[in-house]
Amino acid sequence: MDTIADISFDEITLADLAKMPPEVVDGLPFGVIGLDRDGISVVYNATEARLAGLVPSRVLGVPFFDTIAQCMNNFMVAQRFEDIEELDEIVPFVLTLRMRPTPVRLRLLQSRSAPYRFVLIQR
Amino acid sequence: MDDDQDQLGRLLEFVYACPFGLVEIDLSGSILMINPSAMKHLLPIAPERARGMDNLFAVLEHCAPELRNLLDDFPRSHGTVCENRRVIVDLRQSDRSARTVLSYTLVKLGPDRAIITISDITVQVEHERRLKLAEAWFGSMIDGVNDYAVVAISLDGVIEVVNDKFMRQTGQACGDVQGRPLFEVLDFETEPGMHGLNDQLRLAETDGWSLDESWLRRRNGERYWCQRLVVTRAGRDGQTIDGFTVVLRDVARTSSDPDDMRRLLTLDHLTGAANRAFFLQRFELARRLCRQNDEALSLVLVDVDHFKQVNDRFGHPAGDHVLRTLAKTCMVELRPGSLFSRLGGEEFAVLLPKTTLAEALSIAERLRVSVSDTQMITGGHAFRVTASFGCAAFDQNASGVDDLIKAADEQLYRAKRSGRNRVCGPEDTAITRELHEA
Repeated sequence: MDTIADISFDEITLADLAKMPPEVVDGLPFGVIGLDRDGISVVYNATEARLAGLVPSRVLGVPFFDTIAQCMNNFMVAQRFEDIEELDEIVPFVLTLRMRPTPVRLRLLQSRSAPYRFVLIQR
Repeated sequence: MDDDQDQLGRLLEFVYACPFGLVEIDLSGSILMINPSAMKHLLPIAPERARGMDNLFAVLEHCAPELRNLLDDFPRSHGTVCENRRVIVDLRQSDRSARTVLSYTLVKLGPDRAIITISDITVQVEHERRLKLAEAWFGSMIDGVNDYAVVAISLDGVIEVVNDKFMRQTGQACGDVQGRPLFEVLDFETEPGMHGLNDQLRLAETDGWSLDESWLRRRNGERYWCQRLVVTRAGRDGQTIDGFTVVLRDVARTSSDPDDMRRLLTLDHLTGAANRAFFLQRFELARRLCRQNDEALSLVLVDVDHFKQVNDRFGHPAGDHVLRTLAKTCMVELRPGSLFSRLGGEEFAVLLPKTTLAEALSIAERLRVSVSDTQMITGGHAFRVTASFGCAAFDQNASGVDDLIKAADEQLYRAKRSGRNRVCGPEDTAITRELHEA
């Protein structure tokens, strides 16, 4: 299993994420946020929690684009999930981690065959 | 320690979730702190989206160029610089209903930093617009008709009858004004971009009514702010229009300096040119009029050449001086009725109602020569700048406001690409060539 953690930001798939145990997801070097079809956060890995300064237990179960990441709540990110069912895109973006403007790459993943949609964040 | 962590986490959560944009900047505009709501509004409009988010002035330069000057000009080390200023984000957006309006409040926190709040007020602005129209409409119908001068005029604007309040308001006797055109009797103060009474009548003909306001002079020379409601009057058959009823309201302006308020709302802080909001308002009106009356309407976009070099070599104050001087130079050259406006940064626009493309090209050429002849003297330097000009004319068949801006934009781009300091128009008409050869 230790090779899975080496799967890169650019090549990881929804199937990989579905099979990965939580502690491995936590160990990935990039942020992983999983949302259900209603936009409620169901996965929030340790990497992302550390960089954002948030506690995962308080992020899980809330409507993510409304309460945690309003900056993604526009046509550039949130709307993409609504518009495109089979989605795998990399978007250059600027996040506000701990209120500092931080340039990142976002990877947006969604598929009919997977229950969750994912936002991956690479600094 | 865990308690502290938890407190910090909650504090971050609170600011992440705040539905109001918050940005902390230093006095050069560098972003020190920014919350997600602010990023949500700013990222889509930043010139180079993901790359250009370091400096707030740069992000907003194209739509709120006054920001830097407001902060620079603020004399104290802390305090509120401005409150609830409006920014129309993108003039080129085709879908008018989606035209975003942001509102910001700027507070200086100390000698080296400021905080700015940002919110999206698009919906509120649209509500206000409707409310204002409704209020004017009902206000003049119900709210003490006695306070209003009422004039009945014919289709071509000749006064048929006036009430006695008309005499009190304008100082002109009923017998003296009957049979004369109303636009002659009312003493208008003309100002840039203003539409005449005739234009207002044409608008009323299609909409059933129209509302405008401006300074008028009474017979004794005293000026007053007059709101005019024009309503069409149905003929005997109930179908055709046989004239208009004009309601004139002498509005006591309560603000201590009404001109200041008007200036604030319609003019660019730095240059005194019309601001984006006023430009857009006048542009949309002009487009409707030109469509209705089958008149020409042209637009010239103006962009200062190598403006960045001016700022880099001589500093921002010199850049500001260039923008002010250029605006002054151009405004002097233009005839009343045309509107010179600052769209953002070093970009200006000239709205030319009742002007053909050929006329617009020659006006642009005159402006180009005036600008290039003007010596800029500032901060111990003397230099000249040039500007590039893109012209386009309204196409009766298709184009909307945004199409015309785009068309002029393309010509401006051509002017830049083909060496700057020149005027370009569509299809390189004979006149453009002539001007280039001259």
